[in-house]
Amino acid sequence: MAATSVGRVLTLCRQFQNAFRISTSLAVQQSALTLTKSQSYLDRLTYPLLSSNWHCHVGQYRPLHTTISRRGLEEFFDIPENWGEPTVKSGAPWTAKQLRTKSNEDLHKLWYVLLKEKNMLLTIEQESKRQRIQMPSPERLKKIERSMKRLDTVVKEREDALRLLQTGQERARPGAWRKDIFGRVYWYRFREHALPWYMNKRYKRKRFYTPLFVTPHIRLRLEKHLRAKTRIQNKEREKQTVLQEKFPQMKAQSS
Amino acid sequence: MARRLIYPLYQIGNPQLRIFRPPFSLTLVRPGKEQPQDTVQFRIPMEMTKCDVRNYLEKIYNVPVGAVRTRIQYCTNKKRNHLNQKVKRPDYKVAYVQLVEEKANLRFYLPCHAVTTGSILWVQQQTFEFPDIFTEKDVKSAEGSVEEMQEKFMEDEKQRQKPDLRRGGVTEWFGL
Repeated sequence: MAATSVGRVLTLCRQFQNAFRISTSLAVQQSALTLTKSQSYLDRLTYPLLSSNWHCHVGQYRPLHTTISRRGLEEFFDIPENWGEPTVKSGAPWTAKQLRTKSNEDLHKLWYVLLKEKNMLLTIEQESKRQRIQMPSPERLKKIERSMKRLDTVVKEREDALRLLQTGQERARPGAWRKDIFGRVYWYRFREHALPWYMNKRYKRKRFYTPLFVTPHIRLRLEKHLRAKTRIQNKEREKQTVLQEKFPQMKAQSS
Repeated sequence: MARRLIYPLYQIGNPQLRIFRPPFSLTLVRPGKEQPQDTVQFRIPMEMTKCDVRNYLEKIYNVPVGAVRTRIQYCTNKKRNHLNQKVKRPDYKVAYVQLVEEKANLRFYLPCHAVTTGSILWVQQQTFEFPDIFTEKDVKSAEGSVEEMQEKFMEDEKQRQKPDLRRGGVTEWFGL
């Protein structure tokens, strides 16, 4: 993706990494310089930026917040330089491995960055449909969606780990193994109700037990399942014998 | 977060529900019908409410929001595909957002852009006009390059195909 020269567009993630070196590292001046070099997404952020924000952060302290722009509804559109372009350059999506190196605050901010970008792309897509013109670089949407999904996965992993360590609970949402009317056992996930279950009419209609007259149906279903399983096994065995006859030197494949 | 979310049940006295990392995305659309100058039209997911839209725009985009009105657009289930199966076009919710000026406390001080005529205080309203994103830019290719020659050739071809102006719009079919 970043095959072009250094001064050109960095990948989306690299730009963002540069942006967050401000909040994480102490070398604030260096990161301010790298900001001015990189293009594309940070251009959108810095345009029409009052760059006085960066000059005051000279010194070895962490700024309280890094709000860059207050452009409001303009953020639903791309930067005006990209209007009318047939293609817009964009970097690679974030991978889960890269996201796992980021802190929780960074992930939280990144989520909103990706969300705003997604809104912008959806706006452009809808407008292009209206005008009957091809949307410039539609692959950006997929990249954003994948990045957001991976971010979600990483956050879930962290939450799971924390919960396991603190409480020992494997699942976030409580549930239980229950039998439905047809005798099938499944994982029923609990919901929050305002009433106890014995006062809940709709819940009582659900019946988490199997009536006796369903037993013949269960036997037939079991028989069907076993027949299908044996059919597959027999087919596999026959196939192996036929192959052995055709190719005697073939080693017998283990199932 | 992407699958069907079930939010905690709310009963009176519970703390305010806060959603970190909202999975909702808004789409700004060009209004089909003529809208007032300060109205912005969005397509929002079905699960969002007017309050959600207001909070979303104020917190994430820093846009001061006045009134929000929503409606649900029902899309057809009548269309059929090549297998003659009914295909549903997904429904969507539309939000009409009216913008206001930030400084709402007018009684206490006079904002710099406010103008008083008589006893009534007029404040400049925020307007939003949907921009034209797909204006084609004039691309001038480099001189002496292949693209320039190709463009010139195409222009010459077009010029040759144009009818003779001296005939006054009469086609070649009519002899002479």
